[in-house]
Amino acid sequence: MSTPREPTGHELERMSRSELVELGGSLDGVQVVSDEPAHGSDTPDRERRSRRLVTLLLVLSLLCAAGFVWAYLFWPTGYVPPGAPGHTAYLLYTPLIGLTFFGAVGALGVALVVYVRRFYPDEVAVQHLERGPSPEKDRFTAAATFAEAGAHTGFGRRTMIRRLGLTGFGVIGIMGGLVAVGGLVRNPWRQGTDAALWTTGWKPTGDEPVFLRVAAGDPREIVKVRPEDLEPASILTVVPFRESERDDVEKNHDAEMAPDNPVVLIRLPAGTHVTNPPGREDLHHGDYYAFSKVCTHLGCPAALYDTQLQVILCPCHQSEFRITEGARPVFGPAARPLPQLPITVDADGYFVARSDFLDPVGPSFWEMRRGSR
Amino acid sequence: MGLVARALTRGAADAVDRRYSVASAARRQASHVFPKHHSFFWGEIALYSFVVLVLSGTYLALYFVPDTTEVVYTGPYAPLQGLFVSRAYDSALSLSFEVRAGLFVRQLHHWAALLFVAAMILHMARNFFTGAFRRPRELTWLGGVALLAIGIFEGYLGYSMLDDLLSGLGVRIFSGLLLSVPVVGTWLHWLVFGGEFFGDIWISRFFIAHVLVLPGLLVALIAVHVGLVWYQKHTQFPGPGAREDTVVGERALPGFASRTVANGVCVLAVLGLLAGVFQINPVFLWGPYTPTQVSTYIQPDFYAGFLIGGLRLWPRWEFHLGDHTVAAPFWVGLVLPLLMFALLALYPWLERLRTGDHAPHQVLQRPRDDATRTGIGAMGLVFWGILFASGATDVLASTFDVPFEYLVWAGRIGLLVLPPLAFVVVRGVCRGLQRSDRDALEHGVHTGVLQEGPDGVYVELRRPPGGADRAGRPVPLRYGGSRIDRRPDTGADQTEEQR
Amino acid sequence: MMRRLRNVALIVVALAAVGGVYALLVPSPQTAVAQTADTARTAQGRALYEQACISCHGANLQGEPGRGPGLTGVGDAAVYFQVSTGRMPLAGPQDRGYRKAPAPEFDPTTEQGSANLAALGAYVEANGGGPTTPTTPGDQLIGSDVAHGGELYRLNCASCHNFTGRGGVLADGRYPPRLDGATPTQMYTAMLSGPMAMPVFSDQQLTPEEKKDIIAYVVSVRGQNNAPGGFGLGELGPSTEGVIAFVVGLATLVGVAAWIGART
Repeated sequence: MSTPREPTGHELERMSRSELVELGGSLDGVQVVSDEPAHGSDTPDRERRSRRLVTLLLVLSLLCAAGFVWAYLFWPTGYVPPGAPGHTAYLLYTPLIGLTFFGAVGALGVALVVYVRRFYPDEVAVQHLERGPSPEKDRFTAAATFAEAGAHTGFGRRTMIRRLGLTGFGVIGIMGGLVAVGGLVRNPWRQGTDAALWTTGWKPTGDEPVFLRVAAGDPREIVKVRPEDLEPASILTVVPFRESERDDVEKNHDAEMAPDNPVVLIRLPAGTHVTNPPGREDLHHGDYYAFSKVCTHLGCPAALYDTQLQVILCPCHQSEFRITEGARPVFGPAARPLPQLPITVDADGYFVARSDFLDPVGPSFWEMRRGSR
Repeated sequence: MGLVARALTRGAADAVDRRYSVASAARRQASHVFPKHHSFFWGEIALYSFVVLVLSGTYLALYFVPDTTEVVYTGPYAPLQGLFVSRAYDSALSLSFEVRAGLFVRQLHHWAALLFVAAMILHMARNFFTGAFRRPRELTWLGGVALLAIGIFEGYLGYSMLDDLLSGLGVRIFSGLLLSVPVVGTWLHWLVFGGEFFGDIWISRFFIAHVLVLPGLLVALIAVHVGLVWYQKHTQFPGPGAREDTVVGERALPGFASRTVANGVCVLAVLGLLAGVFQINPVFLWGPYTPTQVSTYIQPDFYAGFLIGGLRLWPRWEFHLGDHTVAAPFWVGLVLPLLMFALLALYPWLERLRTGDHAPHQVLQRPRDDATRTGIGAMGLVFWGILFASGATDVLASTFDVPFEYLVWAGRIGLLVLPPLAFVVVRGVCRGLQRSDRDALEHGVHTGVLQEGPDGVYVELRRPPGGADRAGRPVPLRYGGSRIDRRPDTGADQTEEQR
Repeated sequence: MMRRLRNVALIVVALAAVGGVYALLVPSPQTAVAQTADTARTAQGRALYEQACISCHGANLQGEPGRGPGLTGVGDAAVYFQVSTGRMPLAGPQDRGYRKAPAPEFDPTTEQGSANLAALGAYVEANGGGPTTPTTPGDQLIGSDVAHGGELYRLNCASCHNFTGRGGVLADGRYPPRLDGATPTQMYTAMLSGPMAMPVFSDQQLTPEEKKDIIAYVVSVRGQNNAPGGFGLGELGPSTEGVIAFVVGLATLVGVAAWIGART
C-alpha cells in the first residue's frame, strides 16, 4: 500500500463520501474491488416486487408475534388430564406458542435475508493482511524494554530473594487450592470394615432380623414377603426392613432410596436346573433366590427377568446375568456376578436375610480385593 | 434518516470520539473484510445457540430449586400426585405444568443444548477437513476442542440435575466411572458426592458447576475463540484474488453484520420451532429417580452417545494388580474419551510432524487436496460414529429386529476394521479426485461430444478450462485449489476469456 | 379427539352399568344352572381346542415336544391373553408368537369371539386350574390411583416395557411388546399369566387393585397421552431427540446458512 500524503482538514471537508471511504480503505488496507448494484432493485419493477416480498414477510412476522402474545396470555395453560374436557386445548398450548414464535422470529429472519440479498450491493472487497511477526523495530525495542524492566528489578542477580519470593507466590497458590479442595475431601474408608462400600442396609445390627420388604415407593406401606406371595417364575423388588423401625417413615424411605439396598427376589419355575457356584450353595431358599438389583458394571438396576432363559438383563448397557449359575455375567460389559443375598424363612414364615451380601455391591473399585466376586 | 436523528447521531459519535478517540478503530472494524462462504456460518449456529442457552438458562434458574430434599408431589400433574420426589424434580414439574410457557422455555433450553453441540461438531469437521487449524490458528483450534469438551460436560450436568429416572441413572453411571479410577477412584467419588452415591449434596454442586463455573469458562473461551478469529482474520477458500496475504470478501458493515444477525434470528426461530413442536426430555413421563426403578432405552443426550456406546462394547476385562482391582469401565469410560480429545487437541501438531509444514496459511484446502488428512478425519468420524450407534444398540435392535448381541459384536469388530478401511477408501477417493482435477486441467474437461478423427477413430472433444490460444492450443492452467469449471458447454470458453 | 370422547363416553356408560351388573351377578347362587352351562361351555371349548390348538399342544394339553408346551394349569387367563392378542394360534413355523390380529373366531371385539375365548379358556381351566380372566369388563379394569400405578409400573414393568410402554429388547433377539394395542383385559391377564419371557405377577404380589392402577397408568401415558410438549417422538428417550436435532434442527440451519452465504 502506498502511503498517501496526509490530507489537510480543508481538503477532507471538500472530499466526497466515496473519496473519503477510499481514503479510509487505503489507511486500513481495504480496497473495494466490485460493488455491483443489487439485483433485486436494478429495475423499478424488481424493486417493487422485492419491496412487496419483504413487506409481506414483515407483516407476517408481526401477525405471528401478535398471535404469540395472544396465545401466551389467553390460551388456557392449566394442566388437564387426558380424557377430561379441555385436554386437547391444553396439549396445544406449547405447540401453539412454539409455532407463533417460529412464525414471528422466522419471518423476521427470512425478511432480513431477503432484504440483504436483494438490496445490498454485491460487494467484493480485498483486505491486505499484516502477516507474520511484528516489524524488526518493534521486536527489538519491545525485547529491550522488557530486558531493561527485568534488569531494574534485579531479580536476576538476587537469586535467593527471587527463589523465596516465587516460592511465596507458589505457596499462596497451593494454599488456595488446599482450601478449595481440602474441605471436599472425605475418607471413604473411615469406618474400616463398616465402610459404606463394604456394607449395605442388609447388614444385621445385633440380633434383630432383617426382613425382605416389598419396595412400593411408599414408606408407610410395610409389606413383608412370604414364600407363598410369589408364583413360580416371578420377580419382586425388596428392600431391608427391621421391626424396630416399623413406624419410622424416614428410615423406611431411606431404605428404599439407598442405592445398594435393592434386591430382586426371584422364584424360579419348579424344576429349574441350578448350578450354584462353589461356596455359594446354601444362600437360596428352595426355588427362591435373592440377588442385588444393582448392576456390577455401573450400578443401574439390573431388573429385566427373562423367565425363558433365566437371565437378568440390565437395560443400561445390556449385561446379561445367568440366574441359574449364581448370576454369573454371560454377555456384555459387566465383569462380576450380581452379589447374592443369603436368605431364609423365619418361624412366622417371612423371608429374612441371614447376613449382608458376601460380596461388594455395585460397580467395581480399586480397593476391591481379588476374589471378590 | 431525519435531520434531527442525523444530528443526534453525529453529536453522539462526536461526544464518544472526543472522550475515547475511537474513530480510527471504529472505521477499521467497520471495513474489516470477512470472506464469504456459507460454511463459515456454521460456527455461528453454535454461538447463537449458546446465547439462547444463557438467556433461557437464566430464566429456568429463577424457578429451579437445586435441592435433593424429598417432598410429596402435590402439583396438578395427576400421574405423579402423592409420590415422594426431590425438590429439584418437583420444581422441574412445577415449571413444566404451572408456569406459563415454562415447558416451552425448558424445551427451548434443551434443544439449544443439542444444537449447540451438534453445530460445534459440524463446525469442527469443516475446520478439520479444510485445514483451517494450521498455523497460525492452532490456539483457535485448541479453544474449539476445549469448548466441545466443556459443552458436552455442561449439557450432561444440566439434564442430570432434574433428578428424573433417566438422569438419575446417568448420575449413577458417572458415579460408577469415578469409582473405577485406579488408586484414587473412591476418594474422587467421595470428593464429588460427599459420600456414597448419591448423597444429598450432588445437585447443588452440579447446579453451581452448571450455571456458574462451566458457563463462565465457556463465555471466556468463546470470547477468546471469536476474538482470535476476528483479530487474525477469517480463513478463505481459494478463489480470484484470495492469496495468503489478502482476504477477499465483504466488509463488516453492512454486509457481514446483516448476514450474521439474520443467521442469529434464524437460529432462534428454528430453536423455537423445535421447542414448541417436539417434546424433549419429558421428565414427568420418566418419573422421579429411585434406585429400584429403571426403564428400557436408557440413552444419554446424543453428544454423550459415544461414551455409552463405548461402555456397551467394551468386554468385561477386569484385572487385578496385587490386592487391587482395575475396573473394566475405566478404560472406555474415562481413558478412551480423554485419549480421543487429546488426539483431537493435538492434531495440528501431529499433522505438522507428518507434513513438516510450518508455513502460516490464510487459504483453506479442499478436502481432496490433503488426501491423508481427509482419510484420517474419515477414520475418526467412523470411529466416533460406530461408538455413537452402539450407544443405541437396544433401539436399533428393536427397530430393525436384530438381536442386540449381534449389534454389540458388529460394533466391536467394526470399531477395529471400519476406521482403517474408511481411511484407505477416503484417501483413495481423494487421490482419484485430485487426478481427475489435474487431468481436466491438462487435457480439458469432458464434453461428451464425440468427433471422428481423420483415421476414423472417434475421439471425445475436451474443453480446456483455460480456453485456447489463437492457434487453438489449450492454455495450460495450474491447479489453484479451487473448483474447476466442468460445464461441458464449449460456449463457456468465451466467458472464460472475457474475464 | 373423537376417540378420546368415545372413550370417555364408554367409561361413563360402563360405570353406570357396573352397579346393575354387579347386583345381578354376585348374590345369586344359581349353582345348578351354572354347572350345566359350564359343562356345555367346556365341551365347546374342547371342540375349539381340537380344531385350533391340538396339533402343537397335544390331545390332553400335555404338549408336543418341539412343537408346543403343555397347557395343564396355565389357566384361562393365559388362554385369553395368548389367543385374544393373536399370538396363538401360530400362523406357521416362522411365527415367533408376537402380537398379530386375532383369528376371526377368537376376536375379542365380537360377541362370538369372546364367547369362543371364554369357552376355550373354560376347557383349559377345567384341566388343572390356573389364573382366570377377570369377569369384569375391560373398562372397569382401569383403576383410579394413576400415580400409585405409575410407581408400580416403573418398579415392575418399565425395565422391559419402557417408561411409556414402548417396549424394549431381550436377549437372543426377542423383545417385550409395546403396550399400545393392549386392552385392559389383555394387560391384566398378561400380569396374571406371565406369557413368554414375562414373569408372573400373582394377586398376592400385585393385588387386583394394584393391577388396575398399573393399567390406568399405562392408559394415561401411552399414545401421546400426557405429552404436552408437542410430538412425543416415539417416547423412546433421547435417541430420537438426537435424530431430530440433526435432521430437523441442524439440517434446516445449514440450509439457512447456505442461503445466507450464497452469492447473489
